[in-house]
Amino acid sequence: MHQAHIVGVGMTDFGVHETPLTELFASAAFDALDDAGVGGAAIESFYLGNAMSGQSEGDTHLAPTIASHLGLAGVPCQRYEDACATSSNAFKHAVRAVEAGQHDVVLVGGVERCTTTTGLETPEMTSVFASASHRQYEQPTGISFPGVFGLLTTRHMHEHGTTEEQLAAVAVKNHGHGTLNDRAQFGTETSVEEVLDSPIVATPFRLFDCCPFSDGAAAVVVANEDVAADMEADSVAVTGIGHATDVVPLAEKEDLTATQSARDAATQAYEAADIGPEDVDVAEVHDCFTGAEILAIEALGFVEDGEGGKAAVEGTTALGGRIPVNPSGGLKAKGHPIGATGIAQLVELTEHLRGEAGERQVDGATHALAHNLGGDAATTVVSILEGDA
Amino acid sequence: MSETHSNEAAESLPEQLNHRTWTQALREGRLLGQRCRDCGAETATPSAACNACGSRERVTIELPTTGTLYTETTVAVAPQGFDGGYRVGVVDLGSTRVMARLEGDSDIGDSIELAGVLEVDSPVPVFE
Repeated sequence: MHQAHIVGVGMTDFGVHETPLTELFASAAFDALDDAGVGGAAIESFYLGNAMSGQSEGDTHLAPTIASHLGLAGVPCQRYEDACATSSNAFKHAVRAVEAGQHDVVLVGGVERCTTTTGLETPEMTSVFASASHRQYEQPTGISFPGVFGLLTTRHMHEHGTTEEQLAAVAVKNHGHGTLNDRAQFGTETSVEEVLDSPIVATPFRLFDCCPFSDGAAAVVVANEDVAADMEADSVAVTGIGHATDVVPLAEKEDLTATQSARDAATQAYEAADIGPEDVDVAEVHDCFTGAEILAIEALGFVEDGEGGKAAVEGTTALGGRIPVNPSGGLKAKGHPIGATGIAQLVELTEHLRGEAGERQVDGATHALAHNLGGDAATTVVSILEGDA
Repeated sequence: MSETHSNEAAESLPEQLNHRTWTQALREGRLLGQRCRDCGAETATPSAACNACGSRERVTIELPTTGTLYTETTVAVAPQGFDGGYRVGVVDLGSTRVMARLEGDSDIGDSIELAGVLEVDSPVPVFE
């Protein structure tokens, strides 16, 4: 089996983009190709993550359309949709194809617009997001996506005594990290008081507990060990990917606070990479809501079950802490253009492993982990990257 | 659908539980679920096979209409078609759980019962 490497990365700023999806993605993709030092002619296949453009922009069959805009028409193209885990799933398939020797060099990326540039206002976009819940047995209750994670987090608060202040501390930490990231949608600090004073979206979450609606794109070039060795740019090895699912509707999940798919995906990824949670130097996790980061760090084994609420308060997960989580600012501060999020996590981690993350660099990082979930955590993809630093 | 047909359904359990028969029962004040004939796992909404063991041998069962509140959220910013400010919860029915709209101010662990059906979209249970 071949060893897959990330050999080039690129992403747009996350925020509000008036540009069409094709142009938005091209910006990230050409940055990734240039970073790798390869032209489009080297790309043998294209893997695209895009979750919602059929609903939000009336735009489908997007992979060949975008490939054509990039001058890649002709190569096999595929588009993935797994709610918020969309582009991690594209990445997994790209890596598997390289590992299997099917392709030597591929382009993987994600793009999405979720702001009013789509023409959709908050209630309409809230409905688009809610469509990831079960069509017959969940959506008709009026559950929103903040509400889905509200159900999981309320249960965590009940079982473990997690508090609203602890949730707010996650937002404060990630906003703080976001101030060090030029690409982040929010570049300002917040405070526990400001979070707790913000209006309720779905209990226990207030506006500042929630990631924003965002537009953006991210891309990576994945290549096998032979191609990677010939390239000028530092490459990082993809040493483990885990991918697992859980039952939908969420009421039938065995444990609402476990995010079992994350535990299963992490077990697979740690096993493949032959490391444990204690070996991870830096992680990007799926903090669509503050409570989601707490569930994630427990599921990944960074803290004991029930202890997740304390981590941000005590600085465990801050830059400079025992296990820095979301140095990019996370979805919370960096932004969450759904289909681009999974790849954007990998862009961030690659930069840390190369020692190119600037002010937010985790010094000496050699092992990095990305956790990207979809829907009510019925999908999770966990990816482990290793550098030589 | 004839009147006779729906009366028959009210008295007996549909052999095959699907969205149509689940909905029909719900409108009659009944909550139907499934038990796996092979491993015994129970669910509160229909699926074509068991997630615990993969068996397609599904038995329709009558679920209790009282349960305890397992978790809840108040949705303030609502999807289209809904007016925010309502509560959605997960109700523990013993062997399984179901998502429902909530009325009243029940806390986690409180006993609540099936109180009606919400039909903004397709029908879902309301517990109070």
